[in-house]
Amino acid sequence: MTREEFQQSLADLRADVLAMSDLVAERLDRALTALETIDEAAARGVVGADDAVDRRYLDLESTCIQLFARQQPVAGDLRFVASSFKIVTDLERVGDLAVNLAQYTLAADRKRFEKVDLSSIGDLACDMLDDAMAAYRTDDAALCRDIAARDDELDALCQRASERVVRELIEREVDEGDSWAVEELMDDVSRLLLVVRDLERVGDHAVNIAARTLYMVESDPELV
Amino acid sequence: MSDSQRTRSQTETRTTGSDQPLETTSGETVEETKDEWVEYDFQGQAKMVAEDLDVYYGDDHALKNVSMEIPEKSVTALIGPSGCGKSTYLRCLNRMNDRINAARVDGSVQLDGKEIYQDGINLVELRKRVGMVFQSPNPFPKSIRDNISYGPRKHGDIDTGLLARLLGRDESAEERELVERSLKQAALWDEVHDRLDDNALGLSGGQQQRLCIARCLSVDPEVILMDEPASALDPIATAKIEDLISDLAKEYTVVIVTHNMQQAARISDQTAVFLTGGKLVEYGDTDQIFEDPRSQRVEDYISGKFG
Repeated sequence: MTREEFQQSLADLRADVLAMSDLVAERLDRALTALETIDEAAARGVVGADDAVDRRYLDLESTCIQLFARQQPVAGDLRFVASSFKIVTDLERVGDLAVNLAQYTLAADRKRFEKVDLSSIGDLACDMLDDAMAAYRTDDAALCRDIAARDDELDALCQRASERVVRELIEREVDEGDSWAVEELMDDVSRLLLVVRDLERVGDHAVNIAARTLYMVESDPELV
Repeated sequence: MSDSQRTRSQTETRTTGSDQPLETTSGETVEETKDEWVEYDFQGQAKMVAEDLDVYYGDDHALKNVSMEIPEKSVTALIGPSGCGKSTYLRCLNRMNDRINAARVDGSVQLDGKEIYQDGINLVELRKRVGMVFQSPNPFPKSIRDNISYGPRKHGDIDTGLLARLLGRDESAEERELVERSLKQAALWDEVHDRLDDNALGLSGGQQQRLCIARCLSVDPEVILMDEPASALDPIATAKIEDLISDLAKEYTVVIVTHNMQQAARISDQTAVFLTGGKLVEYGDTDQIFEDPRSQRVEDYISGKFG
């Protein structure tokens, strides 16, 4: 084997992207737990820690650019660096979505819509993200295709949750004369719908990561 | 594609991907066939076609059973490690190997469907149609003007001396036009137009190489073979040669041997990878070769993991 230093750089890049994904997954998990348990301290922790994710993202972006410029990777090496370059952007966005979720926790009264099952949606989105990164770690093309297939399931869950929120709203008796109560309720509804939308987006980013990984492994742009 | 070539391609399709060594019609075992992807369906016409080409230097089997079509008006890059046969293959395309006493060539090479290895072929005419530019710039120790007009005079493409005068033609005007056209095509005119009578050896290395390209163009070739044309040049001169090659491919068929993989990636439309042992291992669109080569050995070679 020649170009050993370059090969080591590629191994380091993969390890660093996986470390960033661990960080992002942990933030997402904490945000979802904070949302479920209405833990404002935990939510504040997620919001305050976003800088660490952003720094890793910028470092990894710079690493990829340096590899392109100085090593001029080709073939499988090229697809790996190019895919990693795209994947870190998706991870950074998931980090932003975790912050959004934490902020909704701080602002919303979750007790109002207890019957809306956010935890199933959150679990599925987190599983998709974990699996996408597992596929990236192990070059698993079959797992990439499986993640794409599960996105339909996530979309259906999100759709049902949104409908449930709207139905509960219709069925709820509100004192129209109490303008403060009406406004508060409307805020909660819109925040809850945003939570659902953001969890759906986490799934979309997981699919993006799977798509780039499939291109990396098999040069197959099928999911891109 | 000729009928014979189509048959050849079908044979490749059958053999490609097999795990077992296969036998050719001559009974000879073909090794490592599963790692070869030499079948290549390109758009457009083939300018040159090599079929079952073998070259021996004495006992050394330098090129092994290479079949390959060169698309017209495009840049074809030949890459591979030293001693892989790429320059040997290039030299077969205008029979430069004939000049090596120990060399023996078996197989077929066609130019516009006509066999160039048949008896009675006019080699001077062949090398006019299939010109060559070498690794080191090799201008004649003459003026810039004479470097360009030497070939056309030899070939009788411009009238000279008494004949021109008897026919009442302005010899110098015809020569002037040819020199200017050739130098402009080689992107050298602006740098030398005011010193055409200076000795060519006074030019920089990059200018000398462009002069050699202009000299090659002056006899109106159809195919231009280039053997490492920029390897002796600095990055600026290399960039000028690369720009020139891309321009030339609009009118000419260019075949270039290069050790510089990034150069092949930058300037060629299709890339052929020869590996040690004189075998063509993969041939395809340059985009595909550098993004997703099918052969693992080619992947290892272009990624620098070879050896």
